Amino acid sequence: MSVCCGPGYSSPAEAIQAPREKLLYTIAIYTGTGIQKPDYLATVDVDPSSPTFSKVIHRLEMPGIGDELHHMGWNACSSCHDDSSMARKYLLLPGVRSNNIHIVDTATDPRAPRIHKVVKGSDIKAKTNLSGPHTVHCLGSEIIISMLGDAKGEAPGGYLELNKDFEIMGRWENSMGNIKFGYDFWYQPRHNVMVSSEWAAPNTFMPGFDLEEVGHLKYGREIHFWDFEKKEPIETMYLGEDGLLPLEVKFHHNPDSTHGFCGAALSSNVIHWWKDDGGKWQWEKIIDVANEPHPEWPIPVPGVMSAILVSMDDKYLYLNNWLHGDMRQYDISDPHNPVLTGQIWMGGLLGKAPEVNGVKMAGGPQMFQLSLDGKRLYVTTSLFSTWDNQFYPEIRDQGGVMVMIDCDPENGGMKLNSDFIVNFGKEPNGPSRCHEARYPGGDCTSDIWL
Amino acid sequence: MNYEVTISNRDNATYWVSNRRPLLDSLIDQGVDLPYGCKYGGCITCAAKLTTGNVDQRRQVALNNRQINEGYVILCVARAKSDITLEIGVESHGSLYRNPFIDPLQPHELKADIATVKDI
Repeated sequence: MSVCCGPGYSSPAEAIQAPREKLLYTIAIYTGTGIQKPDYLATVDVDPSSPTFSKVIHRLEMPGIGDELHHMGWNACSSCHDDSSMARKYLLLPGVRSNNIHIVDTATDPRAPRIHKVVKGSDIKAKTNLSGPHTVHCLGSEIIISMLGDAKGEAPGGYLELNKDFEIMGRWENSMGNIKFGYDFWYQPRHNVMVSSEWAAPNTFMPGFDLEEVGHLKYGREIHFWDFEKKEPIETMYLGEDGLLPLEVKFHHNPDSTHGFCGAALSSNVIHWWKDDGGKWQWEKIIDVANEPHPEWPIPVPGVMSAILVSMDDKYLYLNNWLHGDMRQYDISDPHNPVLTGQIWMGGLLGKAPEVNGVKMAGGPQMFQLSLDGKRLYVTTSLFSTWDNQFYPEIRDQGGVMVMIDCDPENGGMKLNSDFIVNFGKEPNGPSRCHEARYPGGDCTSDIWL
Repeated sequence: MNYEVTISNRDNATYWVSNRRPLLDSLIDQGVDLPYGCKYGGCITCAAKLTTGNVDQRRQVALNNRQINEGYVILCVARAKSDITLEIGVESHGSLYRNPFIDPLQPHELKADIATVKDI
């Protein structure tokens, strides 16, 4: 075991041995729902021995309405493990629409987080000409946030850098090269590489999805490899029809590995990349979810694979098909040849599981977070307010749902947990929609090892 | 210039607004509870339906031509050009959101920068 006293864990193997999570944070939105209340951070009790297990036990409202909280990130992770002056104390909650970045103190009272500071959206625009914050990663004591547009919502945007005191340092990148769009990013410092993906300009995706705009090249179809130290892109992979809307990117947690994955949402494919023996980056399509017929649709329904996740032991890849309604688990021990080892239906447009644990589902599986030991997968159903309103209008009245899937990290397999369900349709201020989730002790989508 | 705004789904309440300020700012200052998000005309959260009168919303970049033809206006950047009547909030959003696969746009209904002129 490590003798260090900084945040996180000395290795992925040590992270897997961490105590079981007892609390979980998820954002919940009212933006775009018709309810004139601020978005909030919900604390969910996930300790099965607690009397409030499977319930929201605290709600931290943001200072104003209209943020659209979406993804989150920690101020520090295992990349600071040898720095005893750092601690995983603050969760950053960007508002995609408002541009505000809320810094939330989760350490003083983990059950009842509190606002520590708000980095105002107007200040970020004035100092960096950026808007549309999405993915938050830390690197040592720096924090980098992908910003999907300029101050007017035009692509490609860039990367906002904050220091450990959450002061705006300016633009992180030295160049965006020929990159057309931004979205997610992940880096692997031992290989001096960062990979970034593409959604669309904020003023394209925020109002909702128009299929025709994909044909007009308003949505991305490329992923980009960066020289991480030089902070500039050096190689672009054109994925074409196989990679429409390449959203989430994940490297293996093993810091020596060059293998990584991207979920192309509209194509509903998983793209795998790696560095070959000659030192050249390669990519291939390894999973292709077929479109499914629907009685009321003129064309087959795409899966819409909006998220992917790699387990801490790098053995399993999880993905969702938001419109079909299934969560899948693949054994990626051989990353070139994934094997489907689990599938769960919950909601979706194909009508395979309209109800889960007695709750009528609106939406389909969307964001998910896996426990560090790989045994519990928490899944939420809302994607983004305007897109929800287009594909699942009933979510306005029913709200979002969080379910738990028990996963077998030894032999593979998934099973819905019948004791756990959080119905955000029954929230005190009316139906809200939950999205990304994180645990106080770190999770499978934040920590990076140097 | 000042114009009168009538909100038809709030008991026809009326407000006076300047043509020099966005409608969202003027109405919120007078106590109207309105949704909003980006405040630069790019995100559609504040959309309302204009049923009479005219507005200048040249700065909006969120609406496609079908939404504009149905009367939607983006309150965070739109300014009154006459007395107007609005329907506000999500009650007015009936045709704002549509399933893009079931009900695709015609080429002339796309956003202004990519729309083609309608064949007559």
